[in-house]
Amino acid sequence: MPDSPWFAIEADAMHVWLRLSGAWRLPRLAEIEADLATLTLPAIPTIDGRALAQIDSACALVLLRALQRAGVDVHAGALRWVGLSEVHSRIVEQVRGHLAQLAAPPAVPRHGGLAQLGRHAVALGALLHGHVNFLGATVAALGEVLLRPRRLRPRELTVQLEQTGLNAIPVVALVTLLIGVVIAYLLGLQAEKYGANIFVVDGVAIGATREFAPIIVAVIVAGRSGAAFTAQLGSMRLTEEIDAIRTLGLSPQQVLVVPRVLALMLALPLLVFVGDVMSLAGAMAIAGPMLDITPAAFMARLRDALDARHVFVGLVKAPVFALFIAVIGTRMGMTVGRDIRAVGEATTSTVVQSIVAVILLDAGFAVLLQELDL
Amino acid sequence: MPGMNAVIEVDSVQTRFAAQAVHADVSFTIARGTLVGLIGASGSGKSVLLREMIGLQRPSAGRVRLLGTDMWSAPARELDAVRQRFGMMFQDGALFSSLTVAQNVAVPLREHTRLTPANIEALVGLRLLQAGLEPDAGTKMPSELSGGMRKRAAVARAIALEPEILFLDEPTSGLDPITARGFDRLVRSLVDNLGITVLLATHDLDTCSAWSTV
Repeated sequence: MPDSPWFAIEADAMHVWLRLSGAWRLPRLAEIEADLATLTLPAIPTIDGRALAQIDSACALVLLRALQRAGVDVHAGALRWVGLSEVHSRIVEQVRGHLAQLAAPPAVPRHGGLAQLGRHAVALGALLHGHVNFLGATVAALGEVLLRPRRLRPRELTVQLEQTGLNAIPVVALVTLLIGVVIAYLLGLQAEKYGANIFVVDGVAIGATREFAPIIVAVIVAGRSGAAFTAQLGSMRLTEEIDAIRTLGLSPQQVLVVPRVLALMLALPLLVFVGDVMSLAGAMAIAGPMLDITPAAFMARLRDALDARHVFVGLVKAPVFALFIAVIGTRMGMTVGRDIRAVGEATTSTVVQSIVAVILLDAGFAVLLQELDL
Repeated sequence: MPGMNAVIEVDSVQTRFAAQAVHADVSFTIARGTLVGLIGASGSGKSVLLREMIGLQRPSAGRVRLLGTDMWSAPARELDAVRQRFGMMFQDGALFSSLTVAQNVAVPLREHTRLTPANIEALVGLRLLQAGLEPDAGTKMPSELSGGMRKRAAVARAIALEPEILFLDEPTSGLDPITARGFDRLVRSLVDNLGITVLLATHDLDTCSAWSTV
């Protein structure tokens, strides 16, 4: 048994003594633990604490566990302690009282990959089930507003229109302008090879109004407004505001969800129209210097190439995208768990779900419109 | 009671928010191993004084010394050292919401000691028991705990490093009287059994009358 600054073992014919000394404090615990690791006792010792300067509960725990490992019964009365000060013996006593409960560490259940997969699948099913439910409730609430327009809250609606529509115009305009430039540039590179410069106008006009502008604007709005809905309603749920609304005899669906859904369904087509105009403007801006298409020639070609139905298709998709973004955003906010971390997770989830929903809907539209020859 | 046993020394601290004076001229010293209550109505500046004492908020004037270290002029290394010698329980627990209770309690142990994971686990269990929680509460997330359990978990984290001083901000606010009295007994036992100096801010006079030294 090597000597240690913290304890020494002495044995005579009758007794074994474990003499503790020095300051048994948490900062030195790693060293104490290392010294105690090889503790072996020839017999049940008497523990001598006369030279012990300090002991804290962490060290007392380590000592008692080391004694247990060495085969010593540490229960009250089984072990003789001498010379321990009153303070120290209270600490040791307290730790000993807790020792039995510490013996069995709680088993943490572990799940394999298959169980995880199943769990996620069930969770996804429950999420979609809830979304469908919520969508139904929202449509019912919208119908109620149509039947009794007095139920509509014009103030809430205008506030939401401003936040989701008006305030989004700059970012939507900027992004779609750049998208227009990029599409025209990439199409122009190819078209130039065949001397088909002027058909770039056709490509941009149809592509932007029918697909790019609605998708890009919907993705921006999902990130901007969908996330905002979840965060707003989520924090209202945390502060029990939604419960308060319910208790006051109001319907959260009418007060919170309907204005947001309606505002987004009105705002998104308008934003898509802004996107249409800006992407064409972007294309026109680069068509001049790159492809020698003057603005006048661009406009003339645009009149021939761009059928109104392409613009309509884009504008018709927008409110459907808006409905899904708003329903996902508000539902995730209304059902968020009651802690702050959950709000952040739900907000992230809203954006991901909204974008996936928008892309899926767009694919559905593409097939549907193809079948209808539009 | 000035002298070598004074662990907390507050010397003519003043606090002003804009034109409003919160603390005019506060001075006191607190001796080792005592339990001291800081009593006042809501909004009277108890929490502010606590925050000034632990170095979170700078007083407008005056000095604070904890364990002999001036909290507002000592070098950063000395402050880090003294921060390991006191624990603070914030009003709402301030448990890290992304960690389980056990991980919360383990944070100071992981950061400031070189203990093995097995030792940390055992020590976390001990802290939870000392704070009056069952060891299996450690697997829960803070959001799954009731108000009283959250405060106990916060105490467990505050005493993780076996501090010499424990600051408690409104330990019994928001608790029902029975839970609150249980908490009082818990704090008393920490003082008696572990020899920790406790300073607590409260407006709950029942809490105060539950203890002898106030």
